[in-house]
Amino acid sequence: MTLLRRLSRTRLIAFLALLGPGLIAGEGGNDAGGIWTYSVAGARFGYALLWAMLPTTVALIVVQEMAARMGAVTGKGLSDLIREEFGFRVTFFLMLALVVTNFANIMAEFAGVASSLGLFSIPIYVVVPLSAAAVWIVVVRGTYKSIERIFLIASVIYVCYIVAAFVARPDWMTAASATVARPESPVAGPLRYLYFYTLIGLVGTTISPWMQFYLQASIVEKGVTVRQYRLARWDVILGCVVASVIAWFIIVACAATLHQAGWTELRDAADAAKALRPLAGEYASLLFAAGLFNASLFAATVLPISTAYAVCEGLGFESGLDKKFHEAPVFYWLYTVLIVAGAGVLLIPGFPLTAIMEFSQVVNGVLLPFVLISMLRLTNDRELMGQHVNSRTFNVIAWATAVAMIGLTAALLWTQRVAN
Amino acid sequence: MSVIALSEVLGAPVRDASGAVRGRVREVAVEPQGQTSRVAYLIVGTPEGRRILAPEQMTSFGATVRAVDAASSWQRYTPSDGVLLMKRDLLDQQIIDVHGRKVVRVNDVEFESTPVNSHLALTVVAVDVGARGAIRRLAKGVVPSFTLRALLKRVPPRVIPWEFVDLLETDPARRVKLKIAYEGLSKLHPADIADIVEDLPPAEREAVFETIDEEVAAEALEEIDPKVRLSIVESLDSNRVADIVEEMDPDAAADLLERLPEDRTGEILLEMEPEERQEVSQLLEFGERTAAGRMTTEYIALQETAVADDAIEALKHFEGSREALATIYLLDASRILVGAVPLVKIAISSPAVQLSELSEEYISCPADTPDDDVAALFDKYNLLTLAVVDEQGRLAGIITADDVIAMLRRGR
Repeated sequence: MTLLRRLSRTRLIAFLALLGPGLIAGEGGNDAGGIWTYSVAGARFGYALLWAMLPTTVALIVVQEMAARMGAVTGKGLSDLIREEFGFRVTFFLMLALVVTNFANIMAEFAGVASSLGLFSIPIYVVVPLSAAAVWIVVVRGTYKSIERIFLIASVIYVCYIVAAFVARPDWMTAASATVARPESPVAGPLRYLYFYTLIGLVGTTISPWMQFYLQASIVEKGVTVRQYRLARWDVILGCVVASVIAWFIIVACAATLHQAGWTELRDAADAAKALRPLAGEYASLLFAAGLFNASLFAATVLPISTAYAVCEGLGFESGLDKKFHEAPVFYWLYTVLIVAGAGVLLIPGFPLTAIMEFSQVVNGVLLPFVLISMLRLTNDRELMGQHVNSRTFNVIAWATAVAMIGLTAALLWTQRVAN
Repeated sequence: MSVIALSEVLGAPVRDASGAVRGRVREVAVEPQGQTSRVAYLIVGTPEGRRILAPEQMTSFGATVRAVDAASSWQRYTPSDGVLLMKRDLLDQQIIDVHGRKVVRVNDVEFESTPVNSHLALTVVAVDVGARGAIRRLAKGVVPSFTLRALLKRVPPRVIPWEFVDLLETDPARRVKLKIAYEGLSKLHPADIADIVEDLPPAEREAVFETIDEEVAAEALEEIDPKVRLSIVESLDSNRVADIVEEMDPDAAADLLERLPEDRTGEILLEMEPEERQEVSQLLEFGERTAAGRMTTEYIALQETAVADDAIEALKHFEGSREALATIYLLDASRILVGAVPLVKIAISSPAVQLSELSEEYISCPADTPDDDVAALFDKYNLLTLAVVDEQGRLAGIITADDVIAMLRRGR
């Protein structure tokens, strides 16, 4: 008996036990904003944006690996490290930006919940308050960990997109060559602004800033140390690859159906659901709704609490669900306000649900370089990371990503000025 | 006498005797070997390199620092592990607030400057962990300093007096040089220490457990969340774990060691004192989730011929946990359990009365009784302690109610 128990603590089990943070972070990336942005990218530009997926995936692996490694080596969260190394002022403004960005993301998640159930004509005034209350309670009562697995299993629904892509008989040759192609020179005219907008959203949703804070925190919370890190790294890489493969198929499925049929501007979830028609026929809406609902609610439970932790740790407020409300008032208030306000604004009549889903991801893309530069400085600090500092390749890739995102943001602002 | 914040001083111009600006303040250093709160010197960045300036050389300390002598006589700064640098080691870092019993992050540090003869005496008075320090650092250089000072007067302070601050230092060599001993922390209740340690990053947890007294460490360790406890024990070296484990209740020690990899358990056992090692390894033989795994071997058992006075005498020499004292057990010549006497009964009896006369019907269970059945027995008979016996009916150990409560809570 004792022998068996001891055996069970050997390496294989160790790996399975470590499996999780990376996979969950990867899956979490395919949230409401993610599904929507990928759908929009496929519908608007067909296969033309597929080239971005390969470099983005490489960057995603590099960035998530940095976050996970920092967590394992230092045992501290990303915002803790930012505060300790860069001081109060930098932390304050970075946290402010993170709150604004994550707030947009939270709105997007609840918009995703509302749009998915909207397909069954369930009114938003019922869906949004109910889901917000459910999220609040689940997290505060600490039952989140058990529900996490349900979300993870339910995310198998994404496989539908892989099947849907096959059923839709896309032009595989075009899709494949578009994936490895050199970036096309952006389309001319008024579409040029839209091109940059979609591209930033695409990168911003794949490598979202909040995910880095969340991933590093999960690694710390799981107690992954340097010794176990070699195994945890595979979990991170696996999560990134799975997330990117699904994203690729969503774009292809939407390109082969929506773009092909000339529906280049998606107005609502019902439009996006049409991508699943070749596969599911009249049940396309049901399938799409299930996928979007699961993804949105998952991210909606993770995002507000992860934001509250990051901000309170960075700025030195008491935090933690094991504390009572009066012991950690800022933590609980921030958490509550993020949910109540994030869900509440959606109830304003005529609020553009789908636009916010894409917009939030563009904001992610704009914030990304700032988070990246902080991460780069931290992972190159020998005093902090010891022998686990970044390799040169990692530095080159991460810096290139940061510079590219700043460049794209500049291009976006420039084309907007031109368009006006 | 005035209070000056670290963030006001950092970057402040330093003027020499002639009144010319010769450099800027880069650090404030304290040497904990002497007086722990006295500022030893400032580190001034000058065009010629880093120089040190002691309070004895200053006439004013604040938004401008004035020295009494010429810049050329300021000593060159050589880095040393034995000094505490306020900006590097304290600002923005986590510390333990001993009084508030929690981990907090430092927003600013407050100094008191007192004129002595023709120079100054500087002491660290408190660390600021509230909004005042935060706003000051946010607004510094943006809002004019006199406006800022007026504004900050309205912000209620949240400071921790310097004597209630325990610094966290993960480098053992530096910890010795800086005389960081977690004295304040060690004086807290073990449950509070446990709460604080759970809030710390792994390296800092390890530092605390390497440093504090073994007995305190043992008690605190028992209170810590099992997952965290395991990671702490895994990070400490076997010798240190052995020292701590020796101070624990044998059942708790066995419980802990059983969760470690086998070779590690062996290493730790080897480092332990023979007596404790024997007790713990005996317990390790049994399954963890049985009566034997839960029991402790520290209890009072007397010969059946003993009198009440013998029991009182045994109590005086007992070193185990107090929970085990609720009942005193009676054994015959071959250590077979024959009776159990509640402590209360002994207390109200005359010293000469035979314990066997006071004995009640005793409840016992075999060593391999599963957890659930143990809990059921406690519930059914309202027990404070339960005797565990081997196949021959000999007393092997006892289980105390607090262990059952812990077991039930963990089972959820």
